[in-house]
Amino acid sequence: MRFKEWIFLLIVVGLGMTVANLIGFGVSVTDSLPGVLILLGISIVAVGIDRVSPLKLPVIAYCSLLAMFLASPISPISDFVIQAANKINFTAPLTMVGSYAGMSISNQLKTFVKQGWKMVIITVLVMTGTFIGSLVIAQLVLGWTGSI
Amino acid sequence: MKKVAYTYGSLGERIKTEWLIYLLAFVFIAISDWIGQIRIPVWKGSFIIFPIFFALFMGILSGPQLLKILDNKKVQGASKLVIVAILPFIAKLGINAGANIMIVLKAGPALLLQEIGNLFTIFFALPIALLLGLKRESIGATHSINRETNLALMQDMFGPDAPESRGSLSVYIVGGMVGTIYFGFMASMVAATGWFHPYALGMSSGVGAGIMMASAVASLSEMMPAFAEEISAFAATSETLSGVTGIYVAIFIGIPLCNWLYKHLEPTLGRVTKAGRRAAEMYADVSAQTLPEDKKATLQEVEECLDTEQVDTGTIQSDQALICDDSVPVTGDESK
Repeated sequence: MRFKEWIFLLIVVGLGMTVANLIGFGVSVTDSLPGVLILLGISIVAVGIDRVSPLKLPVIAYCSLLAMFLASPISPISDFVIQAANKINFTAPLTMVGSYAGMSISNQLKTFVKQGWKMVIITVLVMTGTFIGSLVIAQLVLGWTGSI
Repeated sequence: MKKVAYTYGSLGERIKTEWLIYLLAFVFIAISDWIGQIRIPVWKGSFIIFPIFFALFMGILSGPQLLKILDNKKVQGASKLVIVAILPFIAKLGINAGANIMIVLKAGPALLLQEIGNLFTIFFALPIALLLGLKRESIGATHSINRETNLALMQDMFGPDAPESRGSLSVYIVGGMVGTIYFGFMASMVAATGWFHPYALGMSSGVGAGIMMASAVASLSEMMPAFAEEISAFAATSETLSGVTGIYVAIFIGIPLCNWLYKHLEPTLGRVTKAGRRAAEMYADVSAQTLPEDKKATLQEVEECLDTEQVDTGTIQSDQALICDDSVPVTGDESK
């Protein structure tokens, strides 16, 4: 995707987020605006870093690390970033993700139906196992290191 | 990641093709967020239906196989948009993690080590996949949570038509359809046991699938609002780690581990003799080269040959030989 396309698509996503925040949580457009701009700004910069970076990391990693850095105590604008982002409700950006994700798998519906119960059981087990495996280790290590 | 060939000739061309997708997304957002959250109490937890689920569902309905509002070309466009839409959400989570950076750093060892826990699913799901009669498909299906990168990896390593890739694709598709809803529900049910700390629940939500992580974090935050910040901070960090390490863990540990387990468990749990296993592997090798349907029939003959050979030489026990007969149709089934 061209950088121009990224910017355009991110703006569309930003609008979607604003609509979700307004309809779902009654947050006005002006209240959402700084948060939306921050989130979009981080995303766009992350895409830029991804394009020039020699490392083969997923763009999500750059996005997350950049956001983490901007909100951490060493960042001069951390207070502003945190306050602005707090105006965006947690699930508000997700409705757009769900819409796109649903549309993108809509051509797999027949294949899905054909998979049969065995594949559904295995998928459920794989998801459960991945979660529980991490959970048990996390719980044990957090206990040992005295973090909880 | 840094593709030279573009899907569209220009931004204008993209908009001309995809405008309906954007419009539909706004309609879905309006409807979904207007409905809002629905909470259904289940046991000690609750099954929370978030707007994202309504949107997902409406998206699936709108596609070429049901309501036909979108055609196949537009659907392909939509899949590229998911990553764009999830970026601002990841930024939002990253901000939470940055704001709680001291807590996150203090939990560093746990965060790193729990990534290994993702591999646990192999010990859990692969034996059951074998019991259910899967052959080499089980390797692709259970080596990881099977999101886009894993699917691409399997296709790269084994070829797009190999059984391993088919298994991966199956879990990918089923996971896409039911994963978001199930993951959130499962996380809240596990949390309801009260055995686990919210921090641990948060970090195990980051499994390398953004939308599933989102679902789990949303459910967990609703259940434990006092820890909502930390839960999302840990989920974001763990998700980032999974995103970075996931593919290497799969290449260097996950797939070899699956192969090893498959080799040792398939003869017993796969309910086949050693001869059956050899035949199954041979079948897998041949089918990887995508033989036409009619040639696959001859494979069964090869299998049968191998079976008799092994029985004759007396290298296998008789009870295994008995089960062997059952195994032939099972292997045959997999070819379809």
